[in-house]
Amino acid sequence: MNEELDSQLSAMFDNELPAAECELLARRLSRDEDLKARWSRYAAIGATIRAEGGLRLNSNLAVRVNNAISAEPAVVVAKAIEPSREKTRNATLRWLMPLGGVALAASVAAASILFLRYESPVPPVAQSLPATSNQTLVAKNAAPAAPDSYTVPKTLPRRSIVPSTQLANYVVAHSEFSSPVNRRNLLSAFMATESGTAGAPSGSDEPNEDVTDDAKSPH
Amino acid sequence: MSADVSDLSLVRRVQGGDKGAFDALVRKYQHKLVKLVMRYVRNPAEAEDIAQEAFIKAYRALPQFRGDSAFYTWLYRIAINTAKNAVVSRDRSPIEYNIDRSSDAAEESYDMQGRMKDSETPEGLVLTDEIRRTVNAAIEALPEDLKTAIVLRELDGLSYEEIAAAMDCPVGTVRSRIFRAREAIDRRLREVFEGGLGRTEDLG
Repeated sequence: MNEELDSQLSAMFDNELPAAECELLARRLSRDEDLKARWSRYAAIGATIRAEGGLRLNSNLAVRVNNAISAEPAVVVAKAIEPSREKTRNATLRWLMPLGGVALAASVAAASILFLRYESPVPPVAQSLPATSNQTLVAKNAAPAAPDSYTVPKTLPRRSIVPSTQLANYVVAHSEFSSPVNRRNLLSAFMATESGTAGAPSGSDEPNEDVTDDAKSPH
Repeated sequence: MSADVSDLSLVRRVQGGDKGAFDALVRKYQHKLVKLVMRYVRNPAEAEDIAQEAFIKAYRALPQFRGDSAFYTWLYRIAINTAKNAVVSRDRSPIEYNIDRSSDAAEESYDMQGRMKDSETPEGLVLTDEIRRTVNAAIEALPEDLKTAIVLRELDGLSYEEIAAAMDCPVGTVRSRIFRAREAIDRRLREVFEGGLGRTEDLG
């Protein structure tokens, strides 16, 4: 018999063999009758050294137990994981967990964007476009001069709830590396930008006309 | 080094459906378990029956074993409970005695009492004596460093690291010495069995 194998068997008997070697040897030990017989003699040697009086060193106890469990169904544990696989699984989980967290954060960010864009009321066009100080002054001055003049704002078509794909992708990608505070700031900036761009095409005519009309009327 | 790593490897194999791995665990711990049960019942044959029952219970309970404690500790608890139940069911009082006593006279006295109740055949008794004599003679013939290493391991239960510290040598040397000691003893032991004394009963 291979001397290295026997040396491993001796160390395994003492629970002093590295885990990786144990797995291989355990597989072999469970099938190799010669190895099992040697294993049994190691046990008998230990019992003799410990002077375990009264024991029958030639006992057939193991044979009896073996016969008894051969009639039993095999024990199969669904979660029985070999140590090396367990280590691999743990290592994989160690990498996957942060990635999962990032993916979750990105999903939440994307959902938040969609939710906010859907739920937020369409701001009045006049508010969405910052008026210049001159325009404001003109409007204030013009108001008393034209008391009957008022403008009914047109109902603007509802903006699309689908965000700009490019920006949404950017926010999702950004959220993987940013802190929650930065992410919130970015979202605010994104919303402001989207409001501006979304409001400009449809509302750019009417508000400007109103302001212009109001401003022009007294003159 | 984990104290239970090799046992755990075998346990995982059993949990995966490999009954042969459980056989290895039984062969390793049978003597210790019978010795433990003999704190409760004096008769070796009866102790073996209880140990057998404990092993079978352990096998059935292995799906619940998660490795939180050492396998032997877990097995030990099953064996004690089985022995206590056996004693109660047979209306006997547990017999406590010190298993660590090393007096030859006390051991001899105990052996005689045990044997008087034992149903073992005369050949079995002769074989057990022959095994003991052979092992003891082989140990006496060992070089001092090998003998010290194997005795510290088997009698005192020291780990390889502790033995290395005690003998002032590397752990690898300890492993080698213990292996060589076992090999030397095993060589003589094999002759006993191949010589015909072990033909009727398996050492397993």
